Amino acid sequence: MAEYNEKKSRDGQMRAAINQQLVETGEREKLKELLRMRLSECGWRDQLKQICKEIVRERGLEHVTVDDLIQEITPQARQLVPDSIKKELLHRIRTFLAQQANL
Amino acid sequence: MTGIQCCPHIVSFKEAHGLEPFKITQKWLVHCSTPEARQVRARSCTCKVCNSYSGRLHTCLHCIYFGCYERHHIHQHAQDTNHYLAMDLSYGQTYCFHCQDYIYDKQVEQIAQHEWRKVCKFNGWSETLLSTLPYWEPTGVELESLRLNPKRRKIAADSYVGLRGLVNLGNTCFMNCILQAFVHTPMLRDYFLAERHECEKDQCLVCEMTTLFQKFYAGERTAYVPFRLLHLVWTNARHLAGYEQQDAHEFLIAALDLLHQHLSASSDMVNNNNNNKIITGRPSTSSTENSISREDVNGVDDDSNGSSGNPCGCIIDQIFTGGWQSDVTCQRCSGVSTTIDPFWDISLDLPGSMSSPWHCMSPTQTAAPGLAPTIGTVNVTSEQRPMSLKDCLNRFTRPEHLGSAAKIKCSRCHSYQESTKQLTLNKLPIVLCFHLKRFEHTNKSRRKIATYISFPMDLDMSPFMASRRSVNTRDENTVDDALKENKYSLFAVVNHLGSLQSGHYSVFVRQHRDQWFQCNDATILKATIPDVMQSEAYLLFYHKQYIDYD
Repeated sequence: MAEYNEKKSRDGQMRAAINQQLVETGEREKLKELLRMRLSECGWRDQLKQICKEIVRERGLEHVTVDDLIQEITPQARQLVPDSIKKELLHRIRTFLAQQANL
Repeated sequence: MTGIQCCPHIVSFKEAHGLEPFKITQKWLVHCSTPEARQVRARSCTCKVCNSYSGRLHTCLHCIYFGCYERHHIHQHAQDTNHYLAMDLSYGQTYCFHCQDYIYDKQVEQIAQHEWRKVCKFNGWSETLLSTLPYWEPTGVELESLRLNPKRRKIAADSYVGLRGLVNLGNTCFMNCILQAFVHTPMLRDYFLAERHECEKDQCLVCEMTTLFQKFYAGERTAYVPFRLLHLVWTNARHLAGYEQQDAHEFLIAALDLLHQHLSASSDMVNNNNNNKIITGRPSTSSTENSISREDVNGVDDDSNGSSGNPCGCIIDQIFTGGWQSDVTCQRCSGVSTTIDPFWDISLDLPGSMSSPWHCMSPTQTAAPGLAPTIGTVNVTSEQRPMSLKDCLNRFTRPEHLGSAAKIKCSRCHSYQESTKQLTLNKLPIVLCFHLKRFEHTNKSRRKIATYISFPMDLDMSPFMASRRSVNTRDENTVDDALKENKYSLFAVVNHLGSLQSGHYSVFVRQHRDQWFQCNDATILKATIPDVMQSEAYLLFYHKQYIDYD
């Protein structure tokens, strides 16, 4: 158990270090923009907008909060992201990490 | 934002604290445009409760506090301290805990826009990039128009909107087929329908194209009569005037040239210049750290951009301009001299051509195995598989031995030597036009080559890229493949029927995802994919699948 906890904390530290590196180098921002662009291109954004509109129309604007919307559409939204985009992002992150000597 | 009731709490917050908290947060934490800001963001932004950096981190606008939204740690903070405004760190939206909702405030949005612009500048991005989705504030005219037309139209996947015939005005099918191809070019359609061109000139082809796009998408079913456009072409490109049969390829080039000229003369160029940085992307940045020769190439490229004056950054350049890299290698010292030439289309020789016979292969063919397929004597009537577009491209980009009659002075060893020359693609355009040279004009004869050339629906240009063929290719091949950066999809095919003396042009265009239609002047027929693929193509139009990001 102790060993497991230790590994978990090491993983956590690694993740934090990677995140810090991504932010500091500006890579995270680039990836974020790339993702935004890809999601727009493939129609994901429009699709989600449509789903949200339908939910709002169904219940009436007064009865829906952002939290409700997020909770309701998140599983579906994640599922709708095309695999090719996930792969591309993963690939970019891997390439970036491979170039980082200090991790 | 107009029309949305503003939250009263942000008003009182601004009265008490001013805009400074928004400015600081936007500048240092949301839209970091300096290395220092990035460092601050990277080191300080974790949830004070659970230490996590994900889970939609928010920052308190009243004090220095970070909490995640997903596990309600920012909520807890708001409850404990009555600090009711927080800002989302990913996108910079303001959340009000009293309203329990994200709120909009014009001044705050302006700050965000301002900081975002700085980020774009810092990263060398275009502000009008698809992803930024600038706010659209309708003008008075637009509001009025929206009010008068309350009915919203949704375009279904099987809609015919955008399809319209063009009346033949006397052997003008050469023009009609190119116009149809233009109208069905996604990037051009976006440009023209968004009315990005602003101009007051009288005789402007770009304005006329804008009209054409609008006429196509207005929903009318009768064929359109492009007489104004034809007249403009006649007055501007004298060699195409008259009622004689003309070459569609010649018209394509003339039209692109005229559009390019009229665009660079008009006022909206100022805006466009900012865009070209991103849209006319180079082959991915990952390949720039190659050998020295690679750096040379970049140097040459920059020069040619500045001096030739051709790539001006107008929409035509952004979409159609690609770059050939021509490497001439000295046979004695192996020194390579490289030049880059812009192009709008790729003209390919066909098997059966007299002026450039296919069976006469240069000696370097054997010296560079793998670069080009082994093509033996090609007979027009041979029973082999049909020649493909790739075969033509392979042949076009094979190393070519410049014989003893064409000795060139080598810039490295300063002597006149025999050399080999190879063309590769240095920059891919967004729309790639192939011209299959079916019409041959030699001293002795003028004839049409009717050989069928097969072409793919999806085309990968990676094998013809300069970055791929350079010495240190390493693992980048796999990178290219994975990113699909060089992949294209077919969207228009121009065909010529008949003979050189008397013939007719028609065009297959792709609509929506996978519907094809044959446009034959005023007639439009639904076509199947085999119809398209088996046609005797003259011009092929491919659109890039992924637009370069960097």
